[in-house]
Amino acid sequence: MRKILSALLVLALLVPCFAVADDLPVVKIGVFEPASGDSGAGGKQETLGMQYANQETPTVTIGDTEYKVELVYADNGSSTDKAPSAAQQLVSQQVSVALGSYGSAVSIAGSLYFKDANIPVIGVTCTNPQVTLNNNHYFRICFLDPFQGTVLANYAFKELGARTAYCLAELGNDYDVGLSTYFQQEFEKLGGTVISDFFPTGNSDFTSYLTNATMFNADVFFCPVSIAYSTQILQQAAAQNVTFPILGGDTLDSNVVANAAKGTNVKVVITTFYQEGANPTFDTGFKAWLNSNAEAMTNNGGNDMISAVSAMGYDAYYTALEALKAAGSTDSAAVMAALPSVTLTGVSGAIQFDETGDAIRTSAYVKTINTETGDWEFVAEQTVE
Amino acid sequence: MKEFASDKKSRVPAFLSFVVIALFYLAVFIAEQHLPATSMLFTVLKKGATYALVAVSMNLLNGFTGIFSLGQAGFMLIGAYTYAIFTIPLEQRESVYQYFQGGAVHFTVPVPVALIFAGLAAAFFAFLIGLPVLRLKSDYLAIATLGFAEIIRAIFQWNQLGPITNGSNMLRMFPNFNDFNIRNASGEVTVYLSTTIPFIIAGVCIALIVLLIHSGYGRAFKAIRDDEIAAEAMGINLAHHKQLAFSISSFFAGVGGAMLAMYQTTVQAKSFTSAMTYEILLIVVIGGVGSVTGSVFSSFLFVACSEWWLRFLDEKQMIGTFEVPLLRNGFRLVIFSLIIMIVVLFFRRGIMGTKELPDLFRRKTKEGIK
Repeated sequence: MRKILSALLVLALLVPCFAVADDLPVVKIGVFEPASGDSGAGGKQETLGMQYANQETPTVTIGDTEYKVELVYADNGSSTDKAPSAAQQLVSQQVSVALGSYGSAVSIAGSLYFKDANIPVIGVTCTNPQVTLNNNHYFRICFLDPFQGTVLANYAFKELGARTAYCLAELGNDYDVGLSTYFQQEFEKLGGTVISDFFPTGNSDFTSYLTNATMFNADVFFCPVSIAYSTQILQQAAAQNVTFPILGGDTLDSNVVANAAKGTNVKVVITTFYQEGANPTFDTGFKAWLNSNAEAMTNNGGNDMISAVSAMGYDAYYTALEALKAAGSTDSAAVMAALPSVTLTGVSGAIQFDETGDAIRTSAYVKTINTETGDWEFVAEQTVE
Repeated sequence: MKEFASDKKSRVPAFLSFVVIALFYLAVFIAEQHLPATSMLFTVLKKGATYALVAVSMNLLNGFTGIFSLGQAGFMLIGAYTYAIFTIPLEQRESVYQYFQGGAVHFTVPVPVALIFAGLAAAFFAFLIGLPVLRLKSDYLAIATLGFAEIIRAIFQWNQLGPITNGSNMLRMFPNFNDFNIRNASGEVTVYLSTTIPFIIAGVCIALIVLLIHSGYGRAFKAIRDDEIAAEAMGINLAHHKQLAFSISSFFAGVGGAMLAMYQTTVQAKSFTSAMTYEILLIVVIGGVGSVTGSVFSSFLFVACSEWWLRFLDEKQMIGTFEVPLLRNGFRLVIFSLIIMIVVLFFRRGIMGTKELPDLFRRKTKEGIK
């Protein structure tokens, strides 16, 4: 039995060798995204944007040669103990540049492995400042948590007229806790009061937190949590008939969340990277692609609503292509050298890097859920001086 | 595996095993100098060595002392944090403890000292927890230790402890395996040691555990495993020996945790879930409960499968023009769980049973080797 098993394993190992070669030379772009674990859903949607972009533009001309772009996937499992081997997997496949990840913690965990191999990485929606700080190889095309926290606090204080905010974050999740901290700092600076609270990982009963918020007469309920928790919070908030609006960060921007709020009377306001309708060509193209591809449709959560992360993934792919063109070579070190000066007008806005490698972003989209139709609706484009 | 050191006939197998291990180390060292450092092989070897140590430490409890504990991830967490807290360079602390003004600890210790600290911290907590918990038996003990691991995780994430543990945020920038490489003045690596050193750390720790198992204490542990009442009747102090096994096992789990921190290059309490304990328990079961060799062997096999060999299942594969069905992102985990279920259901004694490496070189007697 053991012999058969080992023979099977060996055979299985040989399978990749049969892959057919194309006529064009191949340039590899690594997709460092979670496909499983807590952020699996978000990671898949981000990957969809890249896949669509790859399908739209499958080749790139580097120097004078036309290359076929191959996306190489590595699932980092949303977990910092799986991220190093996923990063190493991409490194050993000799990708020229990598994209990702959804989630800052895994990005930081994989970072050193890319650095040692001199491979540049373009962060798509990892918003923690530490991702790009003090290194030369990590770039990012989205805004940062301090910015997002400030935008949300300003919106809550000025537009919603809130004076007391209740912040809820998942204990142990650096994204939640970080964003809450920035929100709290800005909100208190504006003159408001913040009550901050944490819930343990895996919690599914949020009624006591919601009751607490009501008890403290909170004017807004800020919960920049993962998609899975936010849908539960929304449903339980609806059941309690809460009066305060629920505020969230970019993680809440998902059709899953919109579906959860459908038919309730909860007001949900979030900040995000992209609003459906901002670029009609991308919207129609992406939707048509989703509708023609059953697997992509499943990965998008079963409908053709566009998540901001998909648009960001799309932009990241084109940023990588621009970098490859600018480098004039598939050598990762050359791409890294070329990246800082890359500029691009993506579907989510103009992309240009500052000296730390972050995209210069001055505005975020504020969106709310139309609870009758279950769609996201554009509210305002919020900028901070 | 019965007292092969004292039995004259068994000297040859023991010697042969020693040669095999030495050759393996040599092979790792040579491979590291000549193969590209970015090869997946080294990632697997580094993580494998780490898991081997933790699996053996768990086997010391579950397989040799008969204490069914599920707190391994908790002790690894303590080890990983202790190592990280004491080794993050001072000039980096400001950026690592970004929300806590550089943190509360303002000194560093050398890496080997930090490794021992990591073990001692884990052992100390194990001692404290062992006082009430070891009075429990079988399932109850497992539940209590599992609960402890979860509590420890929540405490480390607690914002009020932020100046020390960095709360929910990750610790990073501490020395990792790549810092063991010897570099010349211009920063080029002259001798690669980033895989050899973890092998040496794990090797020394596992050797210590093996020595312990063969000592009088080890025989007492096995007696407790086989029959507690009989062991007590023979004059073995149950509470004392259980406490000893628990603390020693946790010491090595702590060192293993520190190694995991070095492998991951970052530490975050979030990743030390009970799922990690189950992974290690699986390694122990697949290797054979009560076999050190089995644990070591299966941890390399497990890590290689989960991190490397089965990754092709996540990608679309073409044979000629035929697209292999089902292969897509996430499929790896399905196959992986299937393999694990088959092993646990049909090969319950694991790869090695209770055999050890020297037994493989021994001629089989008629009744087989026990």
